[in-house]
Amino acid sequence: MSPTEDLADVERVLAGEVSAFEGIVRRWQGPLINMAYRFCNDRSRAEEMAQEAFLRAYRNLAGWRRDAAFSTWLFALAANLYRSELKRIPAHNVALDDIAELMDKRSHQAEFEAEDRDRIIRRAVLALPEKYRDAVILYYFHEMDVPAASKSLGLPEGTVKARLFRGREMLRSKLPQLLQGPKLKEA
Amino acid sequence: MEDELDRIFSRRDEMIPSSGFVASVMEAVQRESTASQPIAFPWLRALPIFAALAAVLVMLGIAIFELVRMPVSYVGHWTIPPAIMRVLSQTSAGWVAIALVIALLSTWIPVRLIAGKR
Repeated sequence: MSPTEDLADVERVLAGEVSAFEGIVRRWQGPLINMAYRFCNDRSRAEEMAQEAFLRAYRNLAGWRRDAAFSTWLFALAANLYRSELKRIPAHNVALDDIAELMDKRSHQAEFEAEDRDRIIRRAVLALPEKYRDAVILYYFHEMDVPAASKSLGLPEGTVKARLFRGREMLRSKLPQLLQGPKLKEA
Repeated sequence: MEDELDRIFSRRDEMIPSSGFVASVMEAVQRESTASQPIAFPWLRALPIFAALAAVLVMLGIAIFELVRMPVSYVGHWTIPPAIMRVLSQTSAGWVAIALVIALLSTWIPVRLIAGKR
């Protein structure tokens, strides 16, 4: 994904060539849909949210200041939209306490696979309070890159680090079984 | 815990976009580009209004200038200068002012009501 391709396509779209936007969609559809999926855990909704993010990007394309990478601008715009969407229609989540209880019950079942456990943990992240949830989601979306996550959130790095720490602390206190790792299956 | 979370999230399966996704986005973008052309401000039609506004401002300036120039003893029984009075009566300025106020209110009130509903 070269920045020059993005710049060229943006220039063409701004000059009135709407079809040039297709290049941007093709290049960034994967990351935007995956980011949306991390926020909502629902495949069809993730595509709807990503489509809305592309539309918003199209409308605000002139607002991209060239001092930041196009991807940084696009991810920040998308993250902002996804957070608003989740406020408007929350993802179907259970409370963190309920997840902890479910985890506790299931951990005693022999057939409790690591895959199930991972799925429950992902749901637990979505059940975190909004500010911790967003920090955790964007940190992992950006492959554990705090500066990139902070740019997407529009927050200082220190704040993101603090929220990550607090979010993990909450998960640790609610889901202590996580520390046991593979033992879960044996229990 | 950190290692465990890192492990879970870093091996997360990537979601592959559906085959019609790009076409669907581009359709929406094309619709957007044709449907929402911004309405240009009608400068030509607004020109007489701007001219009238400029004339009112000039008259107001003259009135203030004459008021300042007038000796203090005259200020108590100051009247509108005859030249301005003549222009005001010839152009039915009173009716124009009332019409402007009504137009302003009929724009401002709906805007406030809509803003209040959001």
